[in-house]
Amino acid sequence: MIKQVFSRSALFLRIVFLVSVFLILVIGGFTYRHISNLTNSTKQVVSTYKVNVELEQVISYLKDAENGHRNYILTKDTSHLEPYLSAREKVNESFAELKEIASHSEAQEGNLKTLSKYIDALFKNFTQTNAFVENGLTLTEEFKSNFFEEKIIMDSIRQKINEMIALENKLLKERQKQYQSNLQFTPLFLYLLLLFTLVLIIISYNRISNDFKNIKLFNNQLSIFKEATIQLETIGKHGNWVWHLDTNTFVFSDNLYQVLGEKPGGFNPTLENLIAFVHPDDKQKFATEMDKMMKVEDLPFIYFRIIKRDGTVRYIKGYGKLLVNGDGDKRIIGNITDISDEIENYLQLEERNLELEKNNAELSEFNYVASHDLQEPLRKIQTFISRLEEKEAKNFSSSGLQYLERINVSATRMRLLIDDLLQFSRTNKPDKEFVLTNLNELLENAKQDVAETITDKEALIRNDELPILSVIPFQIHQLFLNLLSNSLKYSKKDVAPIIKIAYSKINSKDDENLMKVPKRNYHKILFSDNGIGFEQQYADQIFELFNRLHNKQEYSGTGVGLSICKKIVDNHDGFIMAHGEPQLGATFTIYLPE
Amino acid sequence: MPNDYIHIILADDDEDDRLFFSDAFDELNMNTKVNIFNDGVELMDYLNSEASILPNVLFLDLNMPKKSGIECLNEIKANSNMADIAIAIYSTSASEEDIEETFVLGANIYIKKPSSFKQLKKVLSEVVSMNWQYHTNGLNKDNFLMRL
Amino acid sequence: MKLFIKFDFNTICKKVLETKLGELNIKYRILAFGEVELLEKVPSETYETLNTALNDYGIEIVENQKSILVQKIKDAIVDMVFNEEDPINVKSSVYLSEKLGHSYGYLSNLFSEVTYTSIENFIIIQKIEYTKQLLLTTDLSLTEIAFKLNYSSVAHLSTQFKNNTGITPSAFQRIISKRRTIAQQKN
Repeated sequence: MIKQVFSRSALFLRIVFLVSVFLILVIGGFTYRHISNLTNSTKQVVSTYKVNVELEQVISYLKDAENGHRNYILTKDTSHLEPYLSAREKVNESFAELKEIASHSEAQEGNLKTLSKYIDALFKNFTQTNAFVENGLTLTEEFKSNFFEEKIIMDSIRQKINEMIALENKLLKERQKQYQSNLQFTPLFLYLLLLFTLVLIIISYNRISNDFKNIKLFNNQLSIFKEATIQLETIGKHGNWVWHLDTNTFVFSDNLYQVLGEKPGGFNPTLENLIAFVHPDDKQKFATEMDKMMKVEDLPFIYFRIIKRDGTVRYIKGYGKLLVNGDGDKRIIGNITDISDEIENYLQLEERNLELEKNNAELSEFNYVASHDLQEPLRKIQTFISRLEEKEAKNFSSSGLQYLERINVSATRMRLLIDDLLQFSRTNKPDKEFVLTNLNELLENAKQDVAETITDKEALIRNDELPILSVIPFQIHQLFLNLLSNSLKYSKKDVAPIIKIAYSKINSKDDENLMKVPKRNYHKILFSDNGIGFEQQYADQIFELFNRLHNKQEYSGTGVGLSICKKIVDNHDGFIMAHGEPQLGATFTIYLPE
Repeated sequence: MPNDYIHIILADDDEDDRLFFSDAFDELNMNTKVNIFNDGVELMDYLNSEASILPNVLFLDLNMPKKSGIECLNEIKANSNMADIAIAIYSTSASEEDIEETFVLGANIYIKKPSSFKQLKKVLSEVVSMNWQYHTNGLNKDNFLMRL
Repeated sequence: MKLFIKFDFNTICKKVLETKLGELNIKYRILAFGEVELLEKVPSETYETLNTALNDYGIEIVENQKSILVQKIKDAIVDMVFNEEDPINVKSSVYLSEKLGHSYGYLSNLFSEVTYTSIENFIIIQKIEYTKQLLLTTDLSLTEIAFKLNYSSVAHLSTQFKNNTGITPSAFQRIISKRRTIAQQKN
């Protein structure tokens, strides 16, 4: 989870950083454009003024030339022609200048050409007039018209120049206006952008400082965790190792060394040095597993033994798992654990279990053999008694016959006990086979077993249709037989027994007897009779071995039959319960899991 | 009928039981001839010998030293010459499963040794007479199963 | 491989009789089950040879009158039990005394004397054996068999089966089928 938070935060910071850089670049771009615009605009103002100055100069040069010319005409002194000639040169210079400056406007260029024509015409006129003056023909009509023409041309030039100045001013104004509109919004926009960038940077700062706080917190936790891990390693006899796949190097935790019985850092953390500790018999297996790990980059559980420097052998369990971090670094992080104690405990437990099993088997074998082998001498005693009664009856006195009868009764009772005990110990034997069996058939067979008593007592048995279940057939037959015998035996004198066997399939939630049972669905079979019943307080006792509620003179019984029933139901993971009401009857409820 | 008597063999290691058995047949007064062996090895030696007269009914105790009743049963069932012998298991007790098991192995009769002499006589006479019915009335001996 | 065979004793017996009598060139007529009339006088040596030959098959020439009558009683009972098409509705005692022309008491005493069992018991044995045969060779349920053999209820048949054999019909079926499974595994 922590990792997720950080990775999300890192992504956010990256985005903010990129946006900020972009915005700063945008701001830079705008600023550059703004400044270069300003420079242009200044340049244009300067060029306009230059044009105007040059034009004024051209006028003034022309005026100089005109003055010089006029003075020559008046004085015929050629020295006055000097300014006129120099003016011509200067005008040409100015013109060259102008042509360069005014190149930005076609209209101005046109004007310049016209101006140049006018000036050429003026100087041509000057030359002609001067020729008239040289020749002394000043008073001719031709000279007069020439001189007058000069004045007209001069006026046109003045007008043109004025025109050009006006145009230049107008152009300047237009451009200024254009820049003005361009530059008006830039500062505000830049300012807002700057503010936004600032906000972004503040947010990221916040975030970074938060993350930092968290990292610190996690770092704290990590160091606690690390300490805990170290403690755990010591207590649990774990050792930690990391194998960096890219560099093929190992890092061993301090306790790994201790597990191997060495000081932390006691040897170079290499695979070879580790293998040196492995028990010779396990070396091959261990090396194979390691090779496999390097190939498949995974290490399932491995078990091996090591020999410590002091010669003790320990059992070790190892495990490793590939971990790829965010940068794609591959590492296998693994663990070794000293499981010698566990194994020792396990072995001890196993031994004890075996002992117990053996004891149990012996006990049940004893029980079986005892009851089985006791049968034989007992049967012979009974048979001999029967021989005596048959053949030697006349040789006994009446009391002798009575003793014989007593012996017979006792022997019969003993036989009953032994038979039941044997039955009980047989029920005890495990590993019986479960077979899908029709319980109706088993019940029918049980009924046949007691058919004689049923006829004698004129008993009535009514049963529901029973299910087909996976059971141990002989045992369920025994169960039914014992329950039927029980009801027939404890019937009321002079009342014909009625035994009802009801069946239903139930959900354990719906039955108060079945709270906290493992299975959900149970088969419920009810045996109820109209016999002598019993006090409800004895309901649990009657399932105990040799427990009897009635004295044996009244009702013959060994107190084993119902114990066998309980055993059988237990063998089927079921439950049996008894409910009794004196003089009304008893009900036995059997629950068998689905 | 050339052998008009019914030939019966018992193999039992218990002296008293052997005595009860022969006494019972003596008193039963049926036309029977009873041969008795003390254990499974003796029995099988006799049955496998050439001079042997195979019995009509063979009574086998289960618990015998050297060779148990079940071992004898298996040997007899593996021998086609002895297929006609009706085999009665004669034992102190056994569980329902064990009884069924011996039937499956080929026994025809299972007798739980009774605890009175009178009862013993009754049981033995029932066995002989039922075997007689199978023998004289052409009944399918494979279906001869009886438990007493 | 083991084959399971259902056989009819009567047919086998008849076949054996036909073969053996034929081998000795004796003229004969088979009257009923268990009764052969020789049509000519047979010398005593031939008679002895026939007797020995038949003894090999477990067939015995019944000589005394009592035995003959007992055999007739048995035949009549077998007829009665196995005759499915035309079930006999009278009591077996009446049926037997009518058919054989003797009082039932006489027949009963004679039968017990010769066979170690009573007529009633013999009838039951026959019925139980027939039940066994039907259980093993047909798909009929015990209820259907009880109906077929004229029992008042399936419980009656079941009880009689158990009383007679000491095991229940289902146990009988189970044991035989286990035996067959084992026999098949061996082959």
